[in-house]
Amino acid sequence: MSLVAAQPERSGSVMDPSEPGTQPVLGVPPTPQGHAFGDWLGGSSRSAKTFRLALSFGLAAAVWEVVARYFVTNRLIIVPFSEVVAALAREVSTGQLWIHARITLLEIAIAFPIAVVIGMALGLVIASSRIVQQILDPLLTAAYSVPIVALAPLFVAWLGFGVESKVAIILLVAVFPIVINTEVGLRSTDAGLVEAARSFNATRWQIFRTVSLPFAIPFIIGGMRVAFTRALVGVVVAEFFGAFAGFGYVILAASQTYATARLLGYVVLLALLGMISSIGLRAWEARLAPWREVRE
Amino acid sequence: MSDRSGPTTSPAVGAARARVPALRLNALGRVFRAPGGGTVTALRDVNLHVEQGAFVGIVGASGSGKSTLLRIVDGLIPPSSGSVEVDGKVVTGPGPDRAFVFQQDNLLPWRTIIDNVGYGLHLASGPKDQVRSRSQALIDLTGLQGFEAYYPHQVSGGMRQRANVARALAMDPTILLLDEPFAALDAQTREIMQAELLRIWSDQKKTVLFVTHQIDEAIYLSDRVVVLSARPGTVREVVEVDLPRPRELSIKRTPAFLELVDHIWRLIEEEVRQGMGVTTFGAQPMASTNRA
Repeated sequence: MSLVAAQPERSGSVMDPSEPGTQPVLGVPPTPQGHAFGDWLGGSSRSAKTFRLALSFGLAAAVWEVVARYFVTNRLIIVPFSEVVAALAREVSTGQLWIHARITLLEIAIAFPIAVVIGMALGLVIASSRIVQQILDPLLTAAYSVPIVALAPLFVAWLGFGVESKVAIILLVAVFPIVINTEVGLRSTDAGLVEAARSFNATRWQIFRTVSLPFAIPFIIGGMRVAFTRALVGVVVAEFFGAFAGFGYVILAASQTYATARLLGYVVLLALLGMISSIGLRAWEARLAPWREVRE
Repeated sequence: MSDRSGPTTSPAVGAARARVPALRLNALGRVFRAPGGGTVTALRDVNLHVEQGAFVGIVGASGSGKSTLLRIVDGLIPPSSGSVEVDGKVVTGPGPDRAFVFQQDNLLPWRTIIDNVGYGLHLASGPKDQVRSRSQALIDLTGLQGFEAYYPHQVSGGMRQRANVARALAMDPTILLLDEPFAALDAQTREIMQAELLRIWSDQKKTVLFVTHQIDEAIYLSDRVVVLSARPGTVREVVEVDLPRPRELSIKRTPAFLELVDHIWRLIEEEVRQGMGVTTFGAQPMASTNRA
C-alpha cells in the first residue's frame, strides 16, 4: 500500500571517524595513518573536539611563554605563563582566590537571572505591540550602544562598595541584549508556521506558546551569550571603582603593587569563565534547536 | 465507464446526502492593498458549489488568486465581499470542519514527526493518549511508519508533505484544502503522492479542494476542475472530468485525458504567457497574517 523506500535522507551527523578519505588533507602525504588522524581531528566526535580545544590552549600558552621569556622581558607588562600559573596556585593555597571568586560569582548569580527574566519580559511586551515597539526601539538601540559601564562610579557612590552596586551594573549592561534578542526572535517567527497554527484554530496564547516562543528561544540564548560577556566586563569595572573583594578589586590591588603575575592570573580566570559560559550556552542552544545547525 | 452514478463518488454515502452542497462560495471577492498605494483585485465574483465528497481541482495562471481563494475558504483571511458557507453556515474563521495543507510543509521544526501530526489535536486540547493513538493511526495511513521520532529536518521533502497531509487529516475535517502541496517535490515523488492522496481520499470520503498550477495533476485527481482567469481571478470554466475511478497513472496517456489537458491549457495559455512578460505585483495574501 505504501510505496515508499523507508530510508531517511539524513540520520543525524553520525560519522565513522576511522573511515578514511572523507576529507582530504592538503599538503599532508597520503599515508593511511595521516589521513585517519586528520579525519578524526577534523571530525565532530567529542574526543576530537576536546583535543582541538586542548591543542589551541597549549599553543597559546607556549607562544605566551616564549614571547615573555625571550622577546618582551619587561615584567611589568607581561610575565611568562608558567609564573602566572604559579601565582594562581599561590592564590588558591592562601584562600585568596576563593574570597574574590565568591563575591564576583555571587554578584553575577544574583544579577544575571534577574536580567534574563526582565529582559525576556520587556522583549515580549515590545514584540507584542507595534506602537510600543516604534516608541521604544530608538531608546533601546541608544541604551544598547551607550557604554553603560561608564556609569559604574555613580552606582558605587549611590549603592556603596557592597554587592548591591555591582548587581545594579550587571543588570543594566546584561538586560539590553536579552530584550533586543527576545524581541527580534519573537517578531521574526516564520509567518508560515503562524499561519499553520491559525489554520488549526489556535488562540493567540497557543500561537505564542507553541510557535513564537520556541522559535525565539535560540535567539534568547544568543542574547544571553552576549549579555554574559557584558556582565563580566560590567562587574569587573564596577569593582574597580570600589569594592571589598572580587576579581575587579583584586586585579586593581595587584596592579597597584606591580604584581603582574597575579593580575594576569585573574584575567585568565575571567577569560575561562567567559569561555565556559559561551560554550555552555552554545551547547544548550544546539540541544534546544538542532534544526538550526543543519541549516548552517 | 464511469463508476460515479451521481454527484457523490460512493453509493455508500447514501442518496439522502447526495444533493447537500458541502461548500458554497457566494459572489466571493477579495481586494488587496498594493504596496505602492492603490488596490489589486485578487478575486471577483467567484461562485461555486461543491457537493459532499467531491474532489475539485483549481487551476489558473499565477495571479489568479488560487491560494487566496483557498485561504478565504479556510477562514485565514476574510473575503472583501461575498461569503463562504460550509454546510449552510457562513465561515468567519478557521474551524474544525476544514483543514489546510500548505505548500511549504510548515511543520514545527522542534516537534517530531508524530508530534507534528498531532499538533492540531494538541491545540484542540485532546487527551494525551488519544492524541497519540490518533496520530499513530494517521502515521500508518500516510506511510510514515518508522519516522515518528524524527524531526522534520531529518526527513525528505516527500516525507514532510506526508506529515503535512496527516496533520490536516488528523482533525477529521469534512473539507480538506490543499494548496499546491506537491509543488516542491520531484516528479516521481509527486506521482506517488498523487496516487497516495487518491487512495486516502477514496478511503476517507472527504470533500477536497486542490489548488495546483499543474493541469495534468488537477485532471488526474479531480472530479471537476475549476479554471480561474487571472487579475481579477474569476471562474472561467468548470471542466467535468469524466474519467473512470480508480485511476491508474497510465490514464495520463489516454486520449481522453490529453484532450482535457489541451482544453484547459487553451483556457489559460494566454494569461500564462502574459504573466511571463509582465512583472508580477507584490501583493501577497500572506501579508495580512503576519502580525499575530
